[in-house]
Amino acid sequence: MISAFLAKLRVLLAKRESVYGINRRNVELVYAHNQRGDYPTADDKDLCKRMLAECGVPIPRTLHVCANLYEAHLAVDSLDAYDDFVVKPANSSGGNGIIVIKRRNPNGTWEGSGGKSYTKTALQRHIANIVFGAFSNDEADKAIIEERVNFHPILQELSGDGGDLRVLVLKGIPFQAMLRLPTTASGGRANLHQGAIGVAVDIDSGKTGQAQISGRNLEIHPDTGKQLSGIQLPHWVRVLETAKAAAAAVPLGYLGVDILMEATRGPLVVEVNARPGLEIQNVNNCGIGSAMEKGIRVPTT
Amino acid sequence: MERVVPKPPVASRRDLDLGYRLTLAFFVIAPTVLVAYKLLVNDYSLSKILPRRDFSVTLTMNLDGHDGRANVETFVPRSDENQVIAETRSNDVANMQVRTESAGANRISVWSGASVPDETLIVYSFGVLPTGRSYRIDPELQVPARYPSALSSYLVGSEAIQVDSPEVLQTLRKIGADEGPLLHRIQKIYDLTSGFPIRPFKGMTDALTALRLGEASCNGKSRLFVALARATGIPARLVGGLIMTSGSKRISHQWVEAYVAGHWVPFGPTNDHFAKVPERYLVLYRGDESLFRHSSDINFDYSYNISSKMVPAPEARTAFGAFNLWALFDRLEMPFGLLQTILMLPVGALIVVFFRNVIGMPTYGTFLPALIAAAAKGTGLGWGMLSVIMIIGAVSIARWLMQRLHLLHSPSLAILLTAVVASMLLSSLAAEQMGLSQLARVSFFPIAVMAIAAERFYLSLAERGVRDAITQLTGTLVVVAACFVVMNSLALQILVSGFPEVMAYVVAANLYLGRWIGLRVSEYLRFRGLLGTGVEA
Repeated sequence: MISAFLAKLRVLLAKRESVYGINRRNVELVYAHNQRGDYPTADDKDLCKRMLAECGVPIPRTLHVCANLYEAHLAVDSLDAYDDFVVKPANSSGGNGIIVIKRRNPNGTWEGSGGKSYTKTALQRHIANIVFGAFSNDEADKAIIEERVNFHPILQELSGDGGDLRVLVLKGIPFQAMLRLPTTASGGRANLHQGAIGVAVDIDSGKTGQAQISGRNLEIHPDTGKQLSGIQLPHWVRVLETAKAAAAAVPLGYLGVDILMEATRGPLVVEVNARPGLEIQNVNNCGIGSAMEKGIRVPTT
Repeated sequence: MERVVPKPPVASRRDLDLGYRLTLAFFVIAPTVLVAYKLLVNDYSLSKILPRRDFSVTLTMNLDGHDGRANVETFVPRSDENQVIAETRSNDVANMQVRTESAGANRISVWSGASVPDETLIVYSFGVLPTGRSYRIDPELQVPARYPSALSSYLVGSEAIQVDSPEVLQTLRKIGADEGPLLHRIQKIYDLTSGFPIRPFKGMTDALTALRLGEASCNGKSRLFVALARATGIPARLVGGLIMTSGSKRISHQWVEAYVAGHWVPFGPTNDHFAKVPERYLVLYRGDESLFRHSSDINFDYSYNISSKMVPAPEARTAFGAFNLWALFDRLEMPFGLLQTILMLPVGALIVVFFRNVIGMPTYGTFLPALIAAAAKGTGLGWGMLSVIMIIGAVSIARWLMQRLHLLHSPSLAILLTAVVASMLLSSLAAEQMGLSQLARVSFFPIAVMAIAAERFYLSLAERGVRDAITQLTGTLVVVAACFVVMNSLALQILVSGFPEVMAYVVAANLYLGRWIGLRVSEYLRFRGLLGTGVEA
């Protein structure tokens, strides 16, 4: 009786060892492998993209960066050449301040991903707001305008609106991954806290497993009705190589690499995160500790 | 199949982290050694710093001087073996000078001025650290035949203490207090006077009147006691003072002291105190005096306001030696309670850290709950919480009204602060109208703390939405309550006051929590799927 209870307790303790809480993540992973001084570099999407580009890591093309209020009109003028693009603040979290433009309307305005139209003036105001710090607590910021990525058909069909991959990397070794899919309910954002779907991804094979939305398991995507598990993600070896290359390009020993799957170019790194979240453990039903212990199969080349 | 693993990171590294271990050990051992040194070598016992009740008394006097000459005098207490008087303050009264002089055993403060306007307010306050005392009288002790000449005035009668009256002498014989040992006589006198029914009569009653009526107020009983004692050859005197109960009062109290074998031994025939005086009795004067004297052509009113709190004994204060914070605070005329609050702030912050890092309860900032708890000390926890909620309400309404205006961050916050100030003042006004004096005091809640709370709430409302903001608010209120309980814990206050070096333990606890990597309680809930039935790969 007692021994059975103790055995159970030992199992619980062992499991507890494998699950990382915020305290342990910060002490053992973040502080131990990342210098605090490097966070601003990693958090600034513009600086980060430059570092990645220097090392030849594939990234979405930057169309324009606007760092000064008086240049906002130049930024908008440069958009005349494009029908679709993304406007985002260099320093914001949780997808705040991001506008995705899908196409050009016949009257010259643009249509956003939510169906809302934007005039040139409206976009200029949004860019000015970003630069002024409306999405970064009044800290002066930069507005990044970059290409809108054409998602790989597999991902496009799965959610109807693409999605991104989060790969955790420690000391250059990717060890845990998940796929984040936006839903209508999440407002097109691929952020788990805002109601996006998290799908487990096997780090060795790139095959999807169980899926969760706001902590509940689900089988099919609510918008498209597609089965979420058992899907082989494309270019998996290249995804892992890209994650490794991104980790090597930035001064972080522990990081989350966010990757978009482009239709023809394959994996592109959109940003890196010095303090990646812990929900990936629930999505994969596997603690970070277990994932690190298990590691990854050396790809046979 | 070959696999690579990212090395399990710090487990081995932590073992070698000598710097951390030494620092932690220092902050545990150093205070322990200091406390042990004080206790063992310096003969510094905990009983010496056990708390005493410290009273603060404020005498408020109102006078209408009609711009003429006015004079007000009253007895002020002096320190003696039974009461320590400290932190004596008096306000600057326009057009009046104050002087304090000795009059026999008493101290009198006199306020006087040549052209004193109407509605003049005199405020005189002091702190009292009293010790109650009781005496044992040897039953064999005889009444001496002679006393030193200095005591002769305590044996003769006066207009209101009719020692030589035949009725007094007859009563002495009747109760058997005219012969026998001292204790026997005084017991008989005490039994007679304390046996009289108490008559709540406010004016003055002389000894004979009290005897004839067979009932009296405290001053009548006391005068009769003194008259009988003097008549039987025991020196005795009246004592006037206050019974220090919290609140506002106009009624003073009188009791007596009898001279027994070199000591003035107190008796309270009104409230049944035989050869003892309770801690709460404050002596203002001795002798048959009236507490106040003033020019006859002015309107005069007064009240005493009394409050009490527990403080460490004076021995604990002196234990600081060169590092005498108490003396510094007294010189700066800062209240002792403020020092206690400051000393408890780090403890409050530790409580917040515990709630955030071990329990996983979200709060506004690290120090804000501790600051709110410290601020709530003045108003009480309930009213403090209520004011936080009111401020948050004001912020939410103001934000809702401003949302459409698309204002920049800092100016919005400045408007919010205005809304906070306005709502505090308005609610104080409303509360006063409704007679809720406690709620009216909410506006005394430190405005800076409230402004920070408002800003934090606004930020979390803007960044994380209503739901998260409310979760954080709830967490903050829970942690405020916990901080309040701990920071106002008498035992801890005494410990920190007596041994400020235990603050190092707070640092040690934070050092420990700074490397504590366990799961937060909230994370057990968050990852319950993984911890319960999770499949281990």
